[in-house]
Amino acid sequence: MGNLFVKKPKITDVDRAILSLKTQRRKLGQYQQQLEAVIEAEKQAARDLIRDKKKERALLALKKKKAQEELLKQVDTWVINVEQQLQDIELSSKQKAVFESLKAGNNAIKAIQSEINLEDVQKLMDDTEEAKVYQDEISAILGEKLSTEDEEEILAEFDNLEAQITVQDLPEAPASVPGHQDEKLDLPDVPTKVPVAPDVVTDDAKDSAKSKVMEEPVLA
Amino acid sequence: MQKLGDYKLPQFFNYPPYFTLQPVRDTREKQIQLWKELILDYCRTQKIFVIGLEEDFPLFSNPVIERSLSHEAREAFLSILVSDGRAEWLDKRHRKCLILWHRIQEWANIILNFVKENGLEDSVMTVEEIRSGIESRGTELHGIDRTILMRALKLLEQKGKLAIFKGTTADDEGVKFSI
Repeated sequence: MGNLFVKKPKITDVDRAILSLKTQRRKLGQYQQQLEAVIEAEKQAARDLIRDKKKERALLALKKKKAQEELLKQVDTWVINVEQQLQDIELSSKQKAVFESLKAGNNAIKAIQSEINLEDVQKLMDDTEEAKVYQDEISAILGEKLSTEDEEEILAEFDNLEAQITVQDLPEAPASVPGHQDEKLDLPDVPTKVPVAPDVVTDDAKDSAKSKVMEEPVLA
Repeated sequence: MQKLGDYKLPQFFNYPPYFTLQPVRDTREKQIQLWKELILDYCRTQKIFVIGLEEDFPLFSNPVIERSLSHEAREAFLSILVSDGRAEWLDKRHRKCLILWHRIQEWANIILNFVKENGLEDSVMTVEEIRSGIESRGTELHGIDRTILMRALKLLEQKGKLAIFKGTTADDEGVKFSI
């Protein structure tokens, strides 16, 4: 018990407040049970008194029951209040923890940034740029060494690969065609009658109609 | 097979000799072993934490064969459990016995698991809440004997896993976890 190496968690005022609220919650729960029992007992008593035709006493019992019920309602709101406050405490302590974490993170960022000098960064970037230019120059020189022969070979390989890929990517030929023939085509039936020469009258009618139209402007 | 409520009793429970302390050492040891297992198993399934020697205990008598354990036999069996560390006398006159179907250390581990599973690693709980609160409902901790719970909590306190403290006004004890 007196072990000096064991670090016991520290009890804060917040912890005490939570304990007190939780205890209160339990006690209110007990009180609710007690009230419920009393209410039930008064109800039973009223029932018995009615059976014994003692109206006055029965009414009294019901009155007492009513009073207890009011009290129970009151206690219910207390319980809600206690619960609410417990949750508030929890929320606040979480908020505080989050704030502390963010603060620590912020300090860390500042500390890290303070180790970086802007001028140094600029210089570093310039150096990198120089190095890159130098690298490009080397590449250019080396690149010239690539003979035309090699270029041709590379192109040939490229064409070859491209051809292969094109063949692979071709869509597959459909496995069977007959399926299409089943489709219902909405074609007219084969005529059963022998075709007759078109009626001459219709043509005449058309002609007359045309002539009529042409005549009308004249009439107007 | 005979049953006690919904508990299935073992075969030997129907043999009269098992209800009298056996004089021969070997048979007696066998008898004690069987009774020990039966008592622990029965208490675990029925969630019984304390056995009163002078009270009626369903396990200590079998009306079917009209046999019951003598006070001497009861004390003998429980004393063996005590020496095995699976029980403890609650009083000097050996009238009440605390049954530890989980040793205190095991109970402490159960509490630790409970705390971890419910994310209570740095929370405050009342002792009563651990025994009867909604968080512990459905776990082995629900309805645990207060003496056993306090012992397990003290063990954890020694290991720095929690601190037991009293409220300012309330008569209740609280626990602050720090796992």
